[in-house]
Amino acid sequence: MNTNLAPTYKKLFGENWILWFALSNSYSIIEPEFNLLLESYLKSSSNADFSTMISNNINVLESESISETLFNYLKDCNKPYISPEIDSIVLDTSKRHISKQYDFKGQTIQIYYDTELVLKTVHPALSYYCTEIKNEVSATFDIYLKNDDLFLFKDQQLISQVSKHKYHLMQGKFIMQLLCTLHNKEENDWIGTFHGSTVTDGNSSILFVGNSGKGKSTLCALLTANGFDLLADDVSPMLSEDNEIYYNPSAISIKQGAFNLLEPLVSNFKDIPIVKFNKTKGNLKYIPCTKPKKDHYPCRSIILVNYKVKSETKLEPISVKTILETIIPDSWLSPNPLHAKQFLDWLATLEIYQLTYSDTQSVTNEISKLFKQLNKKV
Amino acid sequence: MKKDNNIDKITRKEAIQKMGKYAALTAVGTFVILNPLKAQSSSPPDPGGDPFD
Repeated sequence: MNTNLAPTYKKLFGENWILWFALSNSYSIIEPEFNLLLESYLKSSSNADFSTMISNNINVLESESISETLFNYLKDCNKPYISPEIDSIVLDTSKRHISKQYDFKGQTIQIYYDTELVLKTVHPALSYYCTEIKNEVSATFDIYLKNDDLFLFKDQQLISQVSKHKYHLMQGKFIMQLLCTLHNKEENDWIGTFHGSTVTDGNSSILFVGNSGKGKSTLCALLTANGFDLLADDVSPMLSEDNEIYYNPSAISIKQGAFNLLEPLVSNFKDIPIVKFNKTKGNLKYIPCTKPKKDHYPCRSIILVNYKVKSETKLEPISVKTILETIIPDSWLSPNPLHAKQFLDWLATLEIYQLTYSDTQSVTNEISKLFKQLNKKV
Repeated sequence: MKKDNNIDKITRKEAIQKMGKYAALTAVGTFVILNPLKAQSSSPPDPGGDPFD
């Protein structure tokens, strides 16, 4: 019954099932008992048939209530996914007040900004690539503010128009387009962009996730100061072609709260200019990182980061449910069924942990150990 | 194939019976639905941290 509402994919992770619904691009995590009832519901020919199936110890009213809950659940899982529409707006070239070029080893990107404030949404994380030498450009971006909306154009095509208060969505679109240009891909080649930072040891990579202020970027800065390479900070893109995480050139953004911790550990930290952008985040520093040898690495582990003052370093396995509850609402995941399947298949191969830390040396040792363990498995 | 479906049905029925009334009634309340973002994003500003305010 209502089989048109059934999940497109389902996969068992330990005891829990993860379902994916194509119509809504939503993921659902259910327990084995729920799965049993849902399967019975979907395979029943009618409410009466379902009622018979579960009737021995459940009365009619209770069975109707279960049936209704399952139907409402399925309806919620099938709310149609509507892709955001983009208007066709003509680029206003009179807004080109500030011009910057960025050289990413052979590929040059031109960006025009209208004001210093708008420049601060994108430039500080890429400032290390800024060049005075005029090269032939691979792509031209325009970013400006007009009537309280932020506009992003790539090669004169409107990519994003958002309220200025949602500037992080413009930043996300910009990074996506930058990645497409640098890696010679289209937006629909990507499985998703995870909200988290990825570090590599040259063989594989680990994705660090966690809420704002939990020390993801600080940990990545620590690790890069100890022989690892940053693959991506804040936005970690995964490509469908090879299921690997790709290089994002943005520098690591560090909040003022972590300055003291990192100063003795990151070379020339004192000389890194302070960027004042955001009232609550306060001062920021962007740490430049050496590009890893390759553009992309397989990711074999996700770690939920939890910086806790004076805590011992602890790396504990956690459930896929906990990690998905952290990742999915903060990440863009492609609605393409192939990509959703790839995402689920990839999840099944991962080692998933929570890391509690405060001591910088022991956390580095712990991550080194984990990388060795992950590489051995391959 | 039909026989297999019947076996499936009997197994499911048995499993539901085994689960018991209380477990079945509480089980339907234990699900999580997660929706990814519809567009790429970088870290959103912390509350009160909007530079465009």
